[in-house]
Amino acid sequence: VLPRQMPGPLLATSGRALRAMAGGSGPLASAVRSKLLAALQPTHLEVLDESWRHGGPPGAESHLAVVVVSERFAGLAPLQRHRLVHAALHAELAGPLHALAIVARTPQQWESDPHVPPRPPCLGGSKHDQGKE
Amino acid sequence: MSRVVWAAWRLGIAAARGPAGRPLSQAATGGAEGAGAEGGGGGGSGSREAVERLVRAHPVVVFMKGSPAQPLCGFSNAVVQILRLHGVEDYNAHDVLQDPDLRQGIKDYSNWPTIPQVYLNGEFVGGCDILLQMHQNGDLVEELKKLGIRSALLDAEKDKDKK
Repeated sequence: VLPRQMPGPLLATSGRALRAMAGGSGPLASAVRSKLLAALQPTHLEVLDESWRHGGPPGAESHLAVVVVSERFAGLAPLQRHRLVHAALHAELAGPLHALAIVARTPQQWESDPHVPPRPPCLGGSKHDQGKE
Repeated sequence: MSRVVWAAWRLGIAAARGPAGRPLSQAATGGAEGAGAEGGGGGGSGSREAVERLVRAHPVVVFMKGSPAQPLCGFSNAVVQILRLHGVEDYNAHDVLQDPDLRQGIKDYSNWPTIPQVYLNGEFVGGCDILLQMHQNGDLVEELKKLGIRSALLDAEKDKDKK
């Protein structure tokens, strides 16, 4: 039975963890941010490094979450919206990015609901990875 | 995952492919031909044909990490829990951690880079985020209805109204 959470790294490096939670600042998060800005011209964009939630050290950048608010999503089903995000991040997803949680809304939707659903707790899946997710 | 459903899977697959007790993903992709499906390419467990067979084998098919009884990833677990909320316990789940060829094959097939992946009636529906959205906005109840599956949430609503 695997442990459900990995509190160790979070407590040990709380300063970095808090910065990582607030908005990824590492190279991968920066690349993701620029690509999404260029591809989707979002009115609101958050790129969060959630690697710490998956047993990795804060700043590992293996698991990211993005909140993208863009008029480009208008008229598109969720699947198509997510595919647009994947297309923009093709290189990263082929490389070090193991998991990507996506919230994709139009500006109208974001205005009426600026909340992000809570992330599910990690169950240690990355520990079983030899390579990509 | 109820024992009755698990037993039904194993009997169903075993009848078609080989000895019972084999993990579903291996049994369904040619375990009878030999120990494990080696290599990709034509006929391998990750080929388009093999994946196509899997997604069409049942109205609800999930590719995940771990199993419904023991998910090994929070996102995969979220899919299992959402299906469970709707009373959907009878579905085909494939553990991609058991089969690297299937893991890559399913991503190529759906042109989707991550796991879990949910298929309804052979059609790719999305990952954990999308399933959660569908659950929250009522679309999942509708999609299940189209498959002839009555969501347990409909009955829960009825009970609430009665009280």
